[in-house]
Amino acid sequence: MNLRSWRFFVYHGFQNILRNRVMSLASVTAIMVALIVLGLILVIVVNLDVMMKEVESKMEITLFLKDGVTDSERSSLEKEISSWQGVYDVEFISRHQALEEWKRQLGDKGSLLDGYTGENNPLPDSFLVKIEKPEYVNTIVEKAKEIPAIEEVNYSSKVAEFIEWLARTIRLVGMGLVAVLAGVAAIIISNTVRLTVYSRRREIGIMKYIGATDWFIRWPFIIEGLILGVMGSVIATGVVALGYKFLLDRSSYINMRWGYLGIFRLLPLNEVMLYVLEASLLVGACVGVLASCLSIRKHLRV
Amino acid sequence: MIQFRNVTKVYPNGLCALSNVNFTIANGEFVFIVGASGAGKTTLIKLLLKEIEPTSGSIIVDDVDLSSLKRKEIPYYRRKLGVVFQDFRLLPDRTAYENVAFAMEIVGASPKEIRRRVPAVLSMVGLGSKAHAYPHQLSGGEQQRVALARALVNNPSILIADEPTGNLDPVTAMEIMKIINLINRRGTTVIMATHAKSIVNAMRKRVLQFRKGVLIKDEQEGGYFDEP
Ligand SMILES: Nc1ncnc2c1ncn2[C@@H]1O[C@H](COP(=O)(O)OP(=O)(O)OP(=O)(O)O)[C@@H](O)[C@H]1O
Ligand SMILES: [Mg+2]
Repeated sequence: MNLRSWRFFVYHGFQNILRNRVMSLASVTAIMVALIVLGLILVIVVNLDVMMKEVESKMEITLFLKDGVTDSERSSLEKEISSWQGVYDVEFISRHQALEEWKRQLGDKGSLLDGYTGENNPLPDSFLVKIEKPEYVNTIVEKAKEIPAIEEVNYSSKVAEFIEWLARTIRLVGMGLVAVLAGVAAIIISNTVRLTVYSRRREIGIMKYIGATDWFIRWPFIIEGLILGVMGSVIATGVVALGYKFLLDRSSYINMRWGYLGIFRLLPLNEVMLYVLEASLLVGACVGVLASCLSIRKHLRV
Repeated sequence: MIQFRNVTKVYPNGLCALSNVNFTIANGEFVFIVGASGAGKTTLIKLLLKEIEPTSGSIIVDDVDLSSLKRKEIPYYRRKLGVVFQDFRLLPDRTAYENVAFAMEIVGASPKEIRRRVPAVLSMVGLGSKAHAYPHQLSGGEQQRVALARALVNNPSILIADEPTGNLDPVTAMEIMKIINLINRRGTTVIMATHAKSIVNAMRKRVLQFRKGVLIKDEQEGGYFDEP
């Protein structure tokens, strides 16, 4: 197919849409709704991902020491760990200090721990290791695990884990919802294309007599589906972008309310919307093309 | 060359529209297909367009057996044929010019070729001045001229016409016949199905006459008369 033919297909694709305005509008709306949901999910997940990384990056690693590590062993260990790449601070926390801290956190109920002082203290000595950048975490953890005097390495942050879980759940549930909505949109689009095929049957008949190839007859309908899908995705991205901008404009207020978490920071508009645009264009185009192909297979007997 | 060899067409409902038909049409011939309503004329034309398949027998066009054509090859085969119908079959939302250009667009002609060829063909059928009229602004005869121009614009070697004058008054019909005759004299094979006795008898061309699907007469410079 040459460029001229493509111009013909695109022209006729648009003409199909203009002729069948009501159904085209319904199609665009349906695909738009599905893609708005997709966009929302992406916005949330992308933000959560970054948030999670941020939490991880602030993370400190706790190295619990075995019982019976001598003071000299301990100080040489402290020196060694301090020399590792990526470590910017090592703080020794004795089992005694740890218990005091725990008590302090319990506040009123601190007296519950009264029975655990001295020899009964169940907590081990530990090092609190602060790390410059998240990419050092893994190597430091691996190294620490190889040191015999270290009993356990704790680097999992509960907050990060929770955010990860939240992102995963939203992704899973959201994608299910998107799939259902996209399915509905596909049905509406394929119905729209069926109607155009029907309204064009005279023309199709004439094209066949004149010797148009099957694909020459099919392409304008496929492009019709593509245009519907792409229009839906562009509008959906616009809507999500507006909503996100609204949220960003108020993010200082949000930071005020939840600022104490220290992690709630929305990503800049263009960074997020690029993802959303890409994903919704891809999904919109695919749904549109697939739906029209389905319709053509069923209704366009060329 | 067009050959029908023992062609029989039985429709799914059991009706035998053509039965054991044999004939050969040489390049450049002008042939009338005549017969009463239901004789099988349109069936013959549909077979030739490979719109339907014969129940038995074979149809050979330029040494190609139509039954051997693959689906994909059918459009290219049809480009050899120009087709005209009784009801014109123009696209109502396009001008005469655009209707003719459309036929060139779908075979991938360049805009330059289209701009050169369409006006020439329109003036050949005597419609040069109404190129930009829409079908509803044209008389039946004028619409049929547009249809003829569309059939001819891609230089088919065979022109197939199913009652092209069926909706026209006798005078207009004769004008259309003059154009078809002109096309034939330029070397295009013409196969025309018709009821119109006056036209057939005036033109004295080869006549294939059918009755209830049977070829009952094949006559050079023939006529078409009331059957006894
Ligand atoms: N699709 C079909 N299914 C069943 N029978 C058909 C079909 N098409 C045509 N027929 C029958 O086949 C016979 C021949 O029809 P055909 O259309 O070829 O006749 P015709 O010679 O063109 O008639 P007319 O002059 O009225 O156009 C008729 O009896 C018609 O009813
Ligand atoms: Mg007929």
